Amino acid sequence: MNKMATSHVNVPGEPTETGTALLETATGTIQGFQPINNIHQHLCAFHFYAHDMTRQVEAHHFCGHLNEDVRQCLIYDSPNKDARLIGIEYIVVESLFLTLPDDEKPLWHSHEFEVKGGYLFMPGVPGIVERQDLKQVCKTYGKVIHFWQVDRGDPLPLGIPQIMMALTRPGQLDENIAKDVEKRFGVSFEEQREQRKDLSGPDHGIHPLANAAGRGLKTELREVDIPPATSMPRVFV
Amino acid sequence: MASSDEKPGPTPVATGDKPTPPGEPTTLSSKILDKGAGMMQSLEPVKEMKQHVCTFALYAHDLSRQIETHHYVGRLNQDVLQCAVYDSDIRKANLIGVEYIISPKLYETLPEEEQKLWHSHAYEIKSGLWVNPGVPQMLEKPELENMACTYGKFWCTWQVDRGDRLPLGAPALMFSPQPVNRGRVRPDLVQRRDEKYKISTEELRESRVDIQEPEIHPNADYWVKHNKGFAVDVKPADMKRLAPFP
Repeated sequence: MNKMATSHVNVPGEPTETGTALLETATGTIQGFQPINNIHQHLCAFHFYAHDMTRQVEAHHFCGHLNEDVRQCLIYDSPNKDARLIGIEYIVVESLFLTLPDDEKPLWHSHEFEVKGGYLFMPGVPGIVERQDLKQVCKTYGKVIHFWQVDRGDPLPLGIPQIMMALTRPGQLDENIAKDVEKRFGVSFEEQREQRKDLSGPDHGIHPLANAAGRGLKTELREVDIPPATSMPRVFV
Repeated sequence: MASSDEKPGPTPVATGDKPTPPGEPTTLSSKILDKGAGMMQSLEPVKEMKQHVCTFALYAHDLSRQIETHHYVGRLNQDVLQCAVYDSDIRKANLIGVEYIISPKLYETLPEEEQKLWHSHAYEIKSGLWVNPGVPQMLEKPELENMACTYGKFWCTWQVDRGDRLPLGAPALMFSPQPVNRGRVRPDLVQRRDEKYKISTEELRESRVDIQEPEIHPNADYWVKHNKGFAVDVKPADMKRLAPFP
């Protein structure tokens, strides 16, 4: 079943040639992919731009643990083979979040609401198993950066990276997007909400500097002078 | 608030003398949960990464900061590739960024302001810096000629090389090695990589001499002509809202 959101735009370019595909089948078999093999989990959630809540994106996270307290995720726009890699998310436990410098904290968002609200889910995993992990995720903070603005129809990853935020209270998620995801994945956010009543957020409450310090963030590009070469070795590649 | 060319303030996370990242070892129950989920979920997009490339990149705001990168490459079509970039090839490698690679045909369709953010791959490949570990040369050669014509856009989200134990700050643009003074990769970095994979970058260079030198678009590798690079700033802004926030 094609679980593709309605805003999908074709990526420009020719279909993959046979020779190319054959080579990649070979390299895919011969080479090692350990960092990729560490990815064990698919989570679906919603992000919006830290300067614009009205622009919302269905985000498929493919996550691996670096250790118990830190996860790193590749974000795609769908769970399908032809999904576009649109961003990255890092997830850390509360204790690590609290060690971040104060000017770093606003780039991170809390997960409590989207987990308790039922909006963040693991497609294909029974609720009872899902909730074991969500109990932990509920208390974490995430940092999301997107590189490909698929929601505005960009055919390629144009522009500069965007800091994204996550849902923090009812009324933020666009109804149509919500219904569309519920239908395509056969989930009910309301039902999940009921099942997740006993989950709790960060022990110290949601930090006031998280979630863009309650305001918003934008990114800008700046040209810089390249520092002059220091003593370069005489032999180089 | 944060800039890709600014070192983060002193905190336990930014010292770099301890293992990156901080945190407790993964518990057995997490591993079991992961394995369980992994069996029930298909993880399709991730399976599309079929190439491992080891190469080098330079920070666009400071070319003297150079890193060895491990790209896990997925193909969207003949003209577009997308890569998850890590700082090593081990299981617990840090995910440090994303690179997109496109054909010259597509690069030409980009607006000029956009083209400046992309880098060429010709030198990186012909010089032998770009390698597919474990793949016999004979196998990789035909595709290398195609790759040599492509352009890349690489955003780094975790500056591990400056000691960040967690991903701090604004994302940073990266550039590719170039055959001009400041664009060359430090020999010690290359040597370390070569020793690890038991290869010789120099030998690879010799074997790639016959790869056609593509014509590089004038807007790529911006710093080479303009002596200017790029940094990204994250600044507070008023969020357009449709409901109260946070």
